[in-house]
Amino acid sequence: MLKRHPIFAYYLRKLITYVFTIWGAFTITFFLFRLLPSNPVDAWVKTLERQYAVQQSSSVANTAAYYKEQFGLNGTLGEQYVRYMYQVFVKGNLGPSFVNYPDPVQTLIMKRLPWTIGLLGTSVILSWVAGIVIGLLAGWFRETRFSGAITNIAISLSQIPAYLIALLLVLVVGYGLKWLPTRGAWDAQYSIGFTLPFILSVLQHAILPATAIVIVSVAGWILTTRSLIITLLGEDYLLYAEAKGLKPWNIMRRYALRNIMLPQATGLALTLGAVMNGQLLIELLFVYPGLGDLLNLAINVYDFNTVLGVILISIVSVMTASLLIDLALPLIDPRIRTQIQST
Amino acid sequence: MNSTKANTPARPQQKVAPDSERRLLQIKDTRVWYTTVAGEAKVVDGVNVTINRNEVFGLAGESGCGKSTLVEGVLRLIKSPGYIKSGQALFTYPKDGNAGETTVNLFELGLGEIRPLRWQHIAYVPQGAMNSLNPVMRISDQITDAILEHGNSTKADATKNMLHRLEMVGLPPSVARMYPHELSGGMKQRVTIAAAVTLRPELLIADEPTTALDVNVQRVILQELLDIRKELNLTIVYVSHDMAVHAELADRLGIMYAGAMMEVGTTSQIFKDPLHPYTQGLIRSIPDISKERVRVEGIPGLAPSPLAWPTGCRFHPRCQFAKDVCRRVEPLLTETKPGRQVACHIYTDAWNEKSPGGTVQ
Repeated sequence: MLKRHPIFAYYLRKLITYVFTIWGAFTITFFLFRLLPSNPVDAWVKTLERQYAVQQSSSVANTAAYYKEQFGLNGTLGEQYVRYMYQVFVKGNLGPSFVNYPDPVQTLIMKRLPWTIGLLGTSVILSWVAGIVIGLLAGWFRETRFSGAITNIAISLSQIPAYLIALLLVLVVGYGLKWLPTRGAWDAQYSIGFTLPFILSVLQHAILPATAIVIVSVAGWILTTRSLIITLLGEDYLLYAEAKGLKPWNIMRRYALRNIMLPQATGLALTLGAVMNGQLLIELLFVYPGLGDLLNLAINVYDFNTVLGVILISIVSVMTASLLIDLALPLIDPRIRTQIQST
Repeated sequence: MNSTKANTPARPQQKVAPDSERRLLQIKDTRVWYTTVAGEAKVVDGVNVTINRNEVFGLAGESGCGKSTLVEGVLRLIKSPGYIKSGQALFTYPKDGNAGETTVNLFELGLGEIRPLRWQHIAYVPQGAMNSLNPVMRISDQITDAILEHGNSTKADATKNMLHRLEMVGLPPSVARMYPHELSGGMKQRVTIAAAVTLRPELLIADEPTTALDVNVQRVILQELLDIRKELNLTIVYVSHDMAVHAELADRLGIMYAGAMMEVGTTSQIFKDPLHPYTQGLIRSIPDISKERVRVEGIPGLAPSPLAWPTGCRFHPRCQFAKDVCRRVEPLLTETKPGRQVACHIYTDAWNEKSPGGTVQ
């Protein structure tokens, strides 16, 4: 029978790791940005001085001091850190944004999160499914010309950065052939809402960026799946399954696919977690209103609050994905279950 | 002993063609080669042997002699770069239930045609039971999936069948819900035996099923295998390099060396009166516990490479009786008396013509 305690101890251990890793990663990010030689308010004051010949005066200093307080930039670094952590983790407030003052950072993030999740989440899942299916076939029929061709194409594609493919798509399909829109997430003539024209416009705008991402990431999934399958083909239990007279399709499904799902599901969860950073360059190229685009805007003006907010989302989603895998693995793989019970 | 019964020469007055009726699997001039960078590895190179109904046929020989490759060839499990170069494996089985028996050449069947034969008519107990079970599937699913694939039994019937077979090999029903890593090596081996007999095949091919196990477990499993064989009226081809196991289990023995069959006979014939010098060496290498402790004799020399078998008789470089003819001419497997075959020049008329170089015994 299943012993309960070791599993719970395992879950507890993973949960503690989860909390401390998030805290650690976030702290490091906080100090790294504070190490920058400027901050949003000083940078803004300098811009004003340069562009509008504003004179150094006490009123400017007062205004600057006021905004510094607003953004949590007053006091020593230690004070800033404690105040910020308290504000974020206890009050659940990421502070005001600078790029869109006085909107709070969470409002900006919530506005852009659906776009990133929609575009990148869909592309990642699409390429995962396609990659596994193609990789499975390429591995299973590894001595055929089809498999060789697929492998070579995948190797080439996996080495090309997504933004290069994106550039090509923008140039050829967007500007050259003018088949598809290349800017934004929807056509400005439609208002946001659950209306058919708006949804169609969103889908139309998503095709090119999604294609750029899928083309590159599908190659990675094909290659890993193929090599997992080829390793698996040497296993005795596949020969045994064949000796049992099972249909090849059943062997492929129940013996090969099932056994590679473990590493591939882990990989998918991690990739989905990482998606939250937004594919920075892809979003820039397509002027896609996702988190990557927001991060880019924020970095340009030293908007610490927004940058940290986006990075926090990213840290938390990567960590949550890996926590979920850790929690789910014992349920998927009986061997891990036993290992945990015996420790 | 069973062996004498199974090997009594067929009496013509009893049946019209008793020889062919007893025949279950006839392997003729079979070659299984592997393509390597160094040329063709002729791992199995011209094997002739007949397996009769309801016998345990032991396939013996040292490592690398081609025993496993031969049975994998018969099972059509040879994977590239290996291939069946030539030969026939004539298998007689009751196609479509009671509608009489059919003989097919297993080597000529397409993979789609051989699939229905597997498990229903020819089952296999694999060499490495340790790794032959899928680590992420329950034992029950790995047994019932084969039952459900063949024929049209319901899920409930398949489960009943599975539990019954597990019981036959002395495993409790709780094993069905377990995963392979929760089982010991002996238990896994029992699972593969139980799985192999679920559909009551005519032929069971067991490839060194007990080699990885300790002698105590080995002993128990062999006994279970014999019990099952009796109960289900199985024919078993048992592959092992272990002559002691063969002495215990086999009715008839085939001795392989360098990809060819050297000698065939009943187990008692082979042990009491080994004909081939290689067999003689094999028998001599078994320690005798009833006698004084003596240094066990081995066969001098090393096994040859399948890339280039010795010319003439493949055993001649290691044979103490070897003469000129042995280096030149390959001896054929010939019958010395009914049911007894040997491939050695010593037993041909030509041997004593020139000089009585080597005497027999």
